[in-house]
Amino acid sequence: MISSGQVWPTIDGPLGLTEEASVDYARRFYKFGFALLPWLWAVNCFYFWPVLRHSRAFPQIRNYVVRSAIGFSVFTALLSAWALTFSIGGEELFGPVWDKLVMYNVADRLGLAGLA
Amino acid sequence: MESSSILDSLGVEIIGVMAPVSICMFLVVLLTYSLSVTSDPQIRTAANLIYIENPSDSATVKLEGSLENAIVFVVLVAAVTFVLVLLFYFNFTNFLKHYMRFSAFFVLGTMGGAIFLSIIQHFSIPVDSITCFILLFNFTILGTLSVFSEGMPIVVRQCYMVVMGIVVAAWFTKLPEWTTWFILVALALYDLVAVLAPGGPLKLLVELASTRDEELPAMVYEARPTVSRSHRGGGGSSLRVLVGGGGGVLDSGSVELQAVGDGAATHNLDYNAVAVMDIDSVDGVGRSREGHSASSVSSEPSRELGSIGNRESVAEEEMSPLVELMGWGDNREEPRGLVEESDNIDRGIKLGLGDFIFYSVLVGRAAMYDLMTVYACYLAIISGLGCTLILLSVYNKALPALPISIMLGVVFYFLTRLLMEPFVVGVSTNLMMF
Repeated sequence: MISSGQVWPTIDGPLGLTEEASVDYARRFYKFGFALLPWLWAVNCFYFWPVLRHSRAFPQIRNYVVRSAIGFSVFTALLSAWALTFSIGGEELFGPVWDKLVMYNVADRLGLAGLA
Repeated sequence: MESSSILDSLGVEIIGVMAPVSICMFLVVLLTYSLSVTSDPQIRTAANLIYIENPSDSATVKLEGSLENAIVFVVLVAAVTFVLVLLFYFNFTNFLKHYMRFSAFFVLGTMGGAIFLSIIQHFSIPVDSITCFILLFNFTILGTLSVFSEGMPIVVRQCYMVVMGIVVAAWFTKLPEWTTWFILVALALYDLVAVLAPGGPLKLLVELASTRDEELPAMVYEARPTVSRSHRGGGGSSLRVLVGGGGGVLDSGSVELQAVGDGAATHNLDYNAVAVMDIDSVDGVGRSREGHSASSVSSEPSRELGSIGNRESVAEEEMSPLVELMGWGDNREEPRGLVEESDNIDRGIKLGLGDFIFYSVLVGRAAMYDLMTVYACYLAIISGLGCTLILLSVYNKALPALPISIMLGVVFYFLTRLLMEPFVVGVSTNLMMF
């Protein structure tokens, strides 16, 4: 009776993907993340968390997951920098463009917010 | 020796369904309350086709109009469900899955987007449109990918189901009042008929899915399959055991055992010996709405702990690496002999998305009156759900989840509004109690 400690690549453990399928999904998440979809990179890191923890298992998956993590952090940094500058800077920094860019005005102009 | 009582495993299963329902209801109430959603008389939806409710109409006119609205709505829902059954019968499953993905995209993108924009407007959050667009885009795409996809964490899938329930329910609360109540009652009755009556579309769907052993092409929320730590011969679904002493979900299909090592490693490895079995039987609560979701049946492998320890008298609960990792194809016969006892499997209970939506609509509508009615309706719905789960374990087949809860909810709403409110308000304004 051998007891093999099976390490699953996904966070769902035995309920998740097998290793071969994981490589495929990791690659797809990584590639599609470039289409302005940083959340796919985040899901990549979250889903394959065991891969990040056990640094020596699953070399192929680890490649993609680490790059997704870097991509996600970079993107988040850039996006939050822009969003914070926008909201804190406000009109003084941007001038009249601020009013044109801010979401509630755009929603009003296009009549988008239908709920309330 | 069992280290955990039956309440642990039983509780986990029930909580696994009640928690998302409660979260959905809570968030819908929060949304309705904070955005002060009011019924918009200008919108013409499928629920409004015949009669547009006007608050100044007399009671009889409103009654008749709402009744007609409700009947038309139910007929539409039934028609769409029959179309769904036909498509499924003729094996257009792929088309159905793509259609579901498209509808998820649409719901999350437009309706969800409208809700976010309303929130932003209401609280005047100074976020710019570019960031907003990117976030909404990500949110929608991720949601679309999580429907029917294998490669998403279970948590993400469950969250998106709840989110979709919230979005649709928030929109449904815009319906006028009388129409909402009539529609809820009519749908509860329809659900009862559609799932239980011999010709009902949902019953047909469930049977088709189970005979073909396929997954239903519908949006259902599935609770994470539980890994029970019980060591009795075949822990089985605790609900079942509680009620009938293991009314045996006997199964055919391959057995597969996997050992997972000692708890030293990660959280993933906390499962002991897991038996994964294919199961034919149907075991879920289900209902369907507008092609968004159909009734639910669980037909997925699930896990079960313990009792596989026959070959080597591994009696102890945790850390019992029993059988080695078996290939998916080989050793099918051998393990079979081991698991005579562990025939009952725990599977995640499935609850259709329509149930989330209509429970939340009821509670949202109650929220538009007062918080007292919200509490009463919430308790009523949760007890209805509990009853339904117990019935589920007794009967072991797909059951409608709407009727009991909606009936209880409606009754409690009107009782609270007519009887309890005058009492509570009167007593507290006179400083007698509360």
